[in-house]
Amino acid sequence: MDIFKVSASALEAQRVRMNTIASNMANAHTTRTAAGGPYVRKDVVFSEMPVNSDFAEKLEGVKVSAVVQDNKPPLTIYDPGHPDADAKGYVSMPDINVMEEMVNMMMAVRAYEANVRAFNMSKGMYQKALELGRQ
Amino acid sequence: MDKGTRILERIVQAANIRQKVISSNIANSDTPGYKAKDVKFNNLLGKEMKLAATDTKHIGFRKSGEVSGRTEIEDNLSWEDRNNVELDVEVAKMTENSLLHDAAVTVLSSKIRMYKNAMRTK
Repeated sequence: MDIFKVSASALEAQRVRMNTIASNMANAHTTRTAAGGPYVRKDVVFSEMPVNSDFAEKLEGVKVSAVVQDNKPPLTIYDPGHPDADAKGYVSMPDINVMEEMVNMMMAVRAYEANVRAFNMSKGMYQKALELGRQ
Repeated sequence: MDKGTRILERIVQAANIRQKVISSNIANSDTPGYKAKDVKFNNLLGKEMKLAATDTKHIGFRKSGEVSGRTEIEDNLSWEDRNNVELDVEVAKMTENSLLHDAAVTVLSSKIRMYKNAMRTK
């Protein structure tokens, strides 16, 4: 049943990616964080994860090897009325492009769907094989 | 069981292996540096159905072994992240593969049914 591990690992990885994107979008205007300063955009890094198989070669699942911070400098916006504005009236805002995040989110959703499809097809194949010899 | 059954078994086995490789490709459609793979089966039918035409009505068969083949890296164009998985192509391959598997299982099922009928006493 190694094949299900492969698809499930990808589902998990894409879900982590979606969570990260959601967090980025939710915090597009967050100026206060526990670490201080504005929110920093995060991104996931995927890497191959070998899955043992009864097939001669190792199969490759996927895992999130790291959640990295985007090192783009924060945007400086002039907004003297903002409680976090500095002496000159400038506020540091996270440099998050909601459009970019949406595109990323769509790609994650499509990849997730493709993996669900792969999972279901593998399941269907095993079910079909179980019908062998059944009247 | 007859040789035909063995060929069908081989197809089911091959489709199973191919499904695994395609699933790996789909799982890694966003992994930087991953290269799409596919399995090439040698002698799946080529060796099995050696047409030793001793008689025009005969099809020669050779003794069958395990499914043998090799995984090959696809030579698609790579994107900036050195990944060359084409998601739509993989899904299409997977659908085709699953149909082949189901077809083989269906034929195998009816063969088994035939044997069962033949064994029935009444």
